[in-house]
Amino acid sequence: MEATTLAIAKSVIAVDIGSTISRASFFDVVSGKYRFLATGSAPTTAGAPLFDATEGVWRALEQLQHITGRTFLSEKDGVIIPSTQDNQGADVMVATMSAGNPISVVAVGLLDNVSLRTAQHLAQTTYSELIAEISLNDLRTSSDRINLLTRKRPDLIIISGGTNNGASQSLLTILESIGLSSFLLNESQRPHILFAGNEELQEEVKTGLGKICNLRIASNIQPVLGAEAIYPAQKEINEIYKEIRTKQAGGLREVLNWTDGNVSSTASATGRMIRFLSEKYEPEKGVLGVDIGSQATILAGAISGKETLRVFPSLGVGSGCLGILEKSSLDEIKRWLPIDLPDKDVLDYIYNKTAYPASLPTERESLEIESALAKQALRIAAKNTAPSLYRNKSTASSLLPPIEPIIGSGRILTKAPTRAFSFSILLDGLQPTGVTTLALDQNGLLSGLGAISLINPLLTVQVIESSTFLNLGTIIAPTGYARPGTPILRVRISREDGRTFTREIKYGSLTVLPVDIGEKVSLHLRPLHRFDVGMGGPGKSGKVNAVGGSLGIIIDARGRPLRFLQDPEKNRNRNDAWIRTIQKYE
Amino acid sequence: MLSKVKQIHALTSIKRERVLPVTGHVLVRRLQKVSPTDVIVIASISPQYMLLDISQGLKVQPSRADELLQRKAGDELSKGDVIAGPVGLFQRVIRAPKAGIVRIAGEGKVLYEIGSSPFELHAGMDGTVTNIIPERGAIIESRGALIQGVWGNGKVTYGVLQPVSNDLLQELVPEQLNISFRGTILTAGYCNNPEVFELAGNIPIRGLILGSLSSELIPAAMAANFPIMVVDGFGSTPMNNAAENILVANKDKNVALNAHIYNQFMGNIPEAIISNPTQPETDIPIESETLKAGKKVIITNSTYAPQIGTVDRINPGKQTVSSGIETQTAEVSIGADQKTNIPLNNLEIINTK
Repeated sequence: MEATTLAIAKSVIAVDIGSTISRASFFDVVSGKYRFLATGSAPTTAGAPLFDATEGVWRALEQLQHITGRTFLSEKDGVIIPSTQDNQGADVMVATMSAGNPISVVAVGLLDNVSLRTAQHLAQTTYSELIAEISLNDLRTSSDRINLLTRKRPDLIIISGGTNNGASQSLLTILESIGLSSFLLNESQRPHILFAGNEELQEEVKTGLGKICNLRIASNIQPVLGAEAIYPAQKEINEIYKEIRTKQAGGLREVLNWTDGNVSSTASATGRMIRFLSEKYEPEKGVLGVDIGSQATILAGAISGKETLRVFPSLGVGSGCLGILEKSSLDEIKRWLPIDLPDKDVLDYIYNKTAYPASLPTERESLEIESALAKQALRIAAKNTAPSLYRNKSTASSLLPPIEPIIGSGRILTKAPTRAFSFSILLDGLQPTGVTTLALDQNGLLSGLGAISLINPLLTVQVIESSTFLNLGTIIAPTGYARPGTPILRVRISREDGRTFTREIKYGSLTVLPVDIGEKVSLHLRPLHRFDVGMGGPGKSGKVNAVGGSLGIIIDARGRPLRFLQDPEKNRNRNDAWIRTIQKYE
Repeated sequence: MLSKVKQIHALTSIKRERVLPVTGHVLVRRLQKVSPTDVIVIASISPQYMLLDISQGLKVQPSRADELLQRKAGDELSKGDVIAGPVGLFQRVIRAPKAGIVRIAGEGKVLYEIGSSPFELHAGMDGTVTNIIPERGAIIESRGALIQGVWGNGKVTYGVLQPVSNDLLQELVPEQLNISFRGTILTAGYCNNPEVFELAGNIPIRGLILGSLSSELIPAAMAANFPIMVVDGFGSTPMNNAAENILVANKDKNVALNAHIYNQFMGNIPEAIISNPTQPETDIPIESETLKAGKKVIITNSTYAPQIGTVDRINPGKQTVSSGIETQTAEVSIGADQKTNIPLNNLEIINTK
């Protein structure tokens, strides 16, 4: 039934209800291929004072009507779905959502650093706040657990623990407390429960908790010791997120009607899109997607079919700025600035941005503060996510593994005054290693295309191939240690017309190779002093083909992780010099 | 573009839902007049529970333990009451270690509630109860002045409004505080000095409404033992002219100050309500509307914040502002002879005369 409906679908509206802005993007067939046509946006109205997400969506669609000249709305029927013969409306509508407070989660596992950690990773795949953890290590009595759960009243309890055919009795004791505490709460306040533990207990869990709680069962997220398999449970989390949001956010029911239920969390859709890109193109190289939002930052990576999704719900550059301040000192934020600003001014701006998250920086000072916040948010997110991106856990580190491409999304990147500005945020915040390409999701379509990929993968492929992602530039980032000024890499650049030139790269430098946008070159990389350029290990040379981006090809020999200068003035001057270098050929 | 309306009104209808997240006993009735300190609903927010393993205590199987139970769900227990037993040679029994109420009994276990702290939800404003939300709370309506802020320290109070001076442009400094402010809700331009909170707490004042607050003082403001609300933002800017006029004009009137911690999605917005039910009925204020020429606006982010101006026109297309960002802007007149272009995102509509 679904396949038939979708096979004939031509035009699609993808709505994203962000915490600050709601956007509606329109896709249709132009000259035989799907194309992205336009986006309308309006302030999100899911929170106070309206508490009705529909209003913001409606306004975004009104703007879309204005831009495209096509009618999407009817006072009588709402959004016109499917499209009419006179080209009104669209055939399908999908929606993604991130607006709202994070859902409160209690993670339950047997042992702190085994199943509980896996449950935490699962919770991090959506907009959640971990408010408590329960495990055998915490020495709580059953009464303590019941009191904890009735006092905290979580939206969701994630239960993991016990490998398949493993421990069961200890977990059942904890489950009894969960069942009793849920029974004590009013029906409307009972938590959603996701059981993703020992599969042998599934029937007992259904019998014990099924009638009391909103229970969902997923396959074991740790089927054998040391193996994490959270993807199936991730789908359940997305469904639970949708149910909780529908209950909390006014107007979402209407959006569900228009989309025929095709609503997912922005994070989940972004993750799906990254996995889709990875499967479609070069799975071995992987893909990393980052979305810096007003309230949250998302990192989604997929390498060789393995997806890692992390949502940092209070780490954004609008209403989530205070989360950055909670996780880092003011000095850690200020060290990214190229200009001297008093602590008080920076702090005041951060708090004002939280109060007015949709507002835009009007002066250079405020723009630089926002850039510093974005870099710091990405740094925190990248350091936390990087270890999960390694295929081999024994080599995992807090630096990103070589992964290509890296796609950046979010208003702070797409609305930046220059491409160099967006590039600098991604480069300094993520600090990629090896050879990679930094791309910009210039129309903010990452999550929308992810949502569409489920129902119309052809549209997703054709829109990607129509240059929806802007190539900002190729990055070559050698890793290793040397004294500043020591030559660490020789690069020979061969152009298509046969001309070649060579550069010697010194440690601590940032170099832009003058390669035009779209120009194809071949790079021979020869690292010195056992530096690693992602060619198979330290000191290994290799050849790569690269395409010049908006900013050319950039060799980042500043070291990983980036080190800051002790002298604040020298540090600021160096930050300024770096941004000037990146801007050189823009 | 749809713009948020800054809720600053000299006279408006005010309708507030006062509800608890849990069920409780509603203590008011429909059409009842209430004052800010009246209790609307009382509930047991976090009861404490104790789970007793009867079968283990009596050393019997759960099914046998159920036969030995002397109490059922709903029974009240005093400390020492027998819950189950006797059994065995020594007539073993299980006694209640504390007083409480049995909530669940069976399968060899008894779960009972051993105490709770009652929570009272106050009306938070003068007004009339227009609707009861069964077991959860009530809707209260009134008329009067309303000023919503952007930050609160999570405390609420009710008292007499007292502007520190006839304008709210100046910094509030320790020297201005004296015993004549005891028991009042003070209003002032801005605050940069942590000593102010300590002195104000010693007088003591009942609350403080500021135009802006230095963000470095947030920990001190959170620790203050009285409610603090910030109307415009953070820094050292005087209070916006619209809020200033209302607060100065309402000197010596009673104000309900609900300095909630701001949470947009929970609907917790800090606000000051000066009820005046004798005023003629007015509409409930619009909460968002389209920004267009002629609209009075407050600037939220730029060197001009928090000044109030009038939109002369929405500029066509996009313009580049000083930061280099390209965005839609409006030409705004501030005062008699100043015009500036401000991004639409940095404007909120203000509907006060």
